[in-house]
Amino acid sequence: MNAAAGLDVDGVTVRFGGLVAVSGLTLHAPGGRLTGLIGPNGAGKTTTFNACSGLIRPAEGTIRFGDVDVTAAGAPQRARMGLGRTFQLMELFDSLTVRENVEMGCEAMQAGRGALRHLVSPRRERAEARGRAGEILEQCGLTDIAGSVVGALPTGTRRLVELGRALAGEFQVLLLDEPSSGLDAAETKRFGEILRDEVASRGTGILLVEHDMSLVADVCQYVYVLDFGELIFEGTMAEVVASPVVRDAYLGSELAEA
Amino acid sequence: MTVLLTFLIVGLATGSVYGLAGMGLVLTYKTSGVFNFAHGAVGAVGAYAFWEFRENTMHLPWPLAALAAIVVAGPILGLIIERVAGGLGAVSSSMKIVATVGMLLAIQGGLTIRYGGAARYFQAFLPTNSIRLAGVNVGTDQLVIIAFAALTAAGLAAFFRASRLGAEMRAVVDNEELMNLAGANPVRVRRAAWMIGCTFAALSGILLAPQLGLQPALLTLLVVQAFGGAAIGRFTSLPLTYVGGVVVGVAAAFATRYVPQFPKLAGVPASLPFIVLFVALLFFRESKVPDRIRGVRFSSALGATSAPVRVGGIVVASAALLLVPTFVGTRLPVYTNALVYGVLFMSLGFLVRTSGQTSLCHAGFAAVGAATFGHALDAGLPWPVALVAAAVVTGVVGTVLALPAIRLSGLYLALATFGFGVLLQKLAYTTFVMFGRDTINVHRPELASISLSSDRGYYYVVLFVAALSAVVVVGVQRSRLGRLLRAMADSPVALVTFGTSVQLIRILAFSVSAAVAGIAGALLGGLVGSVNGSTFDPFVSLLILAVLAIAGPGTIRSALAGAIGYAVVPAYINNPHLSDWLTVVFGASALVVALASGFTAGGRFGPRLAGAAERARARATRSPVAARRPQPTDVQVPA
Repeated sequence: MNAAAGLDVDGVTVRFGGLVAVSGLTLHAPGGRLTGLIGPNGAGKTTTFNACSGLIRPAEGTIRFGDVDVTAAGAPQRARMGLGRTFQLMELFDSLTVRENVEMGCEAMQAGRGALRHLVSPRRERAEARGRAGEILEQCGLTDIAGSVVGALPTGTRRLVELGRALAGEFQVLLLDEPSSGLDAAETKRFGEILRDEVASRGTGILLVEHDMSLVADVCQYVYVLDFGELIFEGTMAEVVASPVVRDAYLGSELAEA
Repeated sequence: MTVLLTFLIVGLATGSVYGLAGMGLVLTYKTSGVFNFAHGAVGAVGAYAFWEFRENTMHLPWPLAALAAIVVAGPILGLIIERVAGGLGAVSSSMKIVATVGMLLAIQGGLTIRYGGAARYFQAFLPTNSIRLAGVNVGTDQLVIIAFAALTAAGLAAFFRASRLGAEMRAVVDNEELMNLAGANPVRVRRAAWMIGCTFAALSGILLAPQLGLQPALLTLLVVQAFGGAAIGRFTSLPLTYVGGVVVGVAAAFATRYVPQFPKLAGVPASLPFIVLFVALLFFRESKVPDRIRGVRFSSALGATSAPVRVGGIVVASAALLLVPTFVGTRLPVYTNALVYGVLFMSLGFLVRTSGQTSLCHAGFAAVGAATFGHALDAGLPWPVALVAAAVVTGVVGTVLALPAIRLSGLYLALATFGFGVLLQKLAYTTFVMFGRDTINVHRPELASISLSSDRGYYYVVLFVAALSAVVVVGVQRSRLGRLLRAMADSPVALVTFGTSVQLIRILAFSVSAAVAGIAGALLGGLVGSVNGSTFDPFVSLLILAVLAIAGPGTIRSALAGAIGYAVVPAYINNPHLSDWLTVVFGASALVVALASGFTAGGRFGPRLAGAAERARARATRSPVAARRPQPTDVQVPA
C-alpha cells in the first residue's frame, strides 16, 4: 500500500427498506490528510461509515481502498487491508483493562492474518503488541491508568482508549465517528493533537465525523457536509463556514460557538 | 394411493398439533425475547392436569376436565412464566437459555416424582371410531383434531386482525422497537402472549397424550417438535409456523410409512423435526453479528482471585485429589466418575464462559468420544492414541455441527445442539457407527509394571488425563484464542473491524469444547467397562448446563464444584427418587441463579453498566429520524 493510498467513495447509495439513508455520495479521504464529514443528526454519517467499513452493503456505488475495489469485501478483510474505524456509541472491550484493549487492537489485526493465527500467537507478535501498546498508552497519556478496567472509566477517557486501540491497529485510513462527544475542552484539545501527530508521523488518512465544529475547524484540511443523505457541500473549513447552503441546512447556531 | 391418504391424515393430525405448539412458542419468544425451552413441559403439565381431573381424582366429564386443565396449564402457568421471563430482560442470552432449561428440568422432575417416569395409559377422549373417506378408513378423532387445530389457528389469526391487543401483539412480533416507540403497554401484551402461548402448549399436550401416552420426558420433548415448525416460520411468522408444523407432521407420517423397509433408518420419523430444523438453519439468512453478551453473563472464566490464593487452591485441591483413594475405600468409582464429569463440566464451562455460546448436546459429544474410543481400541490402537482419536473425532463433529448455526445468534446454536443431541440418540446411538445394538467393551490402560486397571489405578489415570485437560483448557483461555473470545464477549463488532473473524473464533472455541467433552466420554467408557447409549441421554446435557450455572465462577473451580454436586453428593444419599429430586433442585436453582443475575444487573453495579447506560443515553438524545435508523450495532457482517 503506497503512502498516497486512501478511501474513495463513489456514488454510494444506502437504503433501509424505503428509506434512503445515503444517496449518491462521493467523497475522498486520502492518506496523510484529516478530512471532516459533518452534518446534522440523521444525515447519514454513521451509515456512510458502516458502508465504508463493510458492516452494511450499499445498494449502489463503489468503495475503493487504495487501488482495490472493496465494495464486496467483508469487514474483517477491509480492516486487514488497512481501513479502521471507531464507533459513535463506543464499542470497547469493557471487561478488559486499558492496556488489554490497546493490545487487542494490535493482536486482533495479527490474528486476522491467518486462520490458525486466531488460535495461538507467536512470541514475536506478542512482544510486538506489548511494545506498540506501550508506545500508544504513552502517546495518549493513558499509561497511569493502563491497569484499570475500561467499563468503569469516564466517557472522556474511554474515547481516548478507543482512539488508542484504533491507533494500535496501524491502519492506513481511520474513520472516527464523533470521537469527541463526551469530552471536555481540555480533553478535546489533546485529542486534536494526537490526531495531528498521527497524520504527521505515520501519514495516516483520517476521516472524522464530528459535531464539535471547533475541533473540525482546528484539525481538518477538507470537509464534506451531508444533509438527509446527500452531499450538499465540500471544501475547506473556511469555505464551509462561508457557504450559505451549509448555513441554511445545519451550521447556523453551532458555528456561532466555534 | 389410498394407503398414502391414511398416512396423510395421520400426519395432518399430529402436524396440526405441532403447528399449534409452534405458534405458541413463536408468540411467546417474539413478544418476550425469551425462548421457552420449557414449552413442551407446559404441554406436559396440561396433559397431566387433564388426566388428574378426568381419571385420577375428580372424574370430571372430559370437556370440563379439559377446560380446567387448559386454564391451569395455560393462563395460570402462563402468567407465572411471564413474571419469570420479565425478570430475564437484563440477563445474557446464555443465562436466558439456562433459565428456561432449568424450568424444563424442574417441571419434568416434579412430574416424574408425582406420577412416575414410566408411560401411563391415557384414555382417548375423542371418538375413536373411523369413517370411510375417499375409500379409506379415517379416524374420527384425527379429523376432529385437524378441524379443531385449523379453527384455533384461524381464531388466533382473526384475533390478531380484529382486536387492538392482537394488533399490538402483531406489532411486537414484527418489530419490537417500533412497538415500544408507539407507546403500547408491553407488559399487557407480553402477559397476554404468554397466556395464549401456554394455552396452545397445553392444548397440544392434551391432544397428543392419547397418541404418545402420559410420560413426562416424552411430552416435554414436544418442544422440539415445535422447533421444526417454528424454524420453517423463521421463528417469526405465525402462519408459516403452523404450516411448518403440519409439514413436519406429514413428513414424519410418510417416513413412518417407508422407513420399515430400511431398519437402519428406524429413528428417522422421530428425528424429522431436527432434520427440518437443521435444513432451515442452513437457509436462514439473518446473518448477524453474534449477540453482544448483554447484562450479566456466566461469571468470568478466569477467577478473580490473586495469584497466591490461586496457587494455594491448586495445591490444596491437588493434594486432596491425590489422596482421595486413601480415604474413600470402596466408593472410589464414585470419585472417578466425578472426575470424568469434572472434565465434562470443564468443557462446557469453557464454552459458555469464554465464548458466550451454549451447547445443549455435551452428553452427545461425550457419546461420540466414547464410541470413537471404543472403536479405536477395538481396532487395536494403543490406549493413549485412542484417547486422542476420541478428542479429535469429537472436535470435528462439533465443528461440523456448529458450522450452520455459528453465523446466527447464540440461541440458534443452542437450538441446533439440542436438536443434534436428540438426533444423535435417536439415529446414531443404535447404529454400528456408535454403539450398535448393545454395547462396546472398553478396557482400561496397562502400563508395563504398574497395574492401572484396578479401581485405584484407573482413578489415577483419570486424574492424570483430567489434569492434562485442565492444563489445555486453561492454556487455551490464556492463549490468543482466549483473549479474542473475551474481547468478543464485550464487542463482536469491534473485533470484526480489527480484522478478526468472530465466526472463526466461535467455531474454534466450540471445537475445543467438543474435543474435551469427547475425552470425558472416553474416560467414562473405561470406568464402566463398556459404553452404550443410555449413559448419554440428551437429558444429561440439559442437567449439566443447569448444574454449571449454579457451580460458581472459574472454569476449573466450577467444574470441581459441579462434579461434587452432580456425582459425589448423590452417591451418599439413599433415596429412590433421588435423581428426580436432584433434577428439580438443579433446575430450580439454575432458574433462580439466572433470575438473580438479572437482579444484580438491574442494580447500578458492574463495570459494563457504565457503557450500557452511556449507550442508552446516546440513543435517547438522538433525533427521531436517527432513532428510526438502524443502530450502528445492528449492522450485518457479510459472510
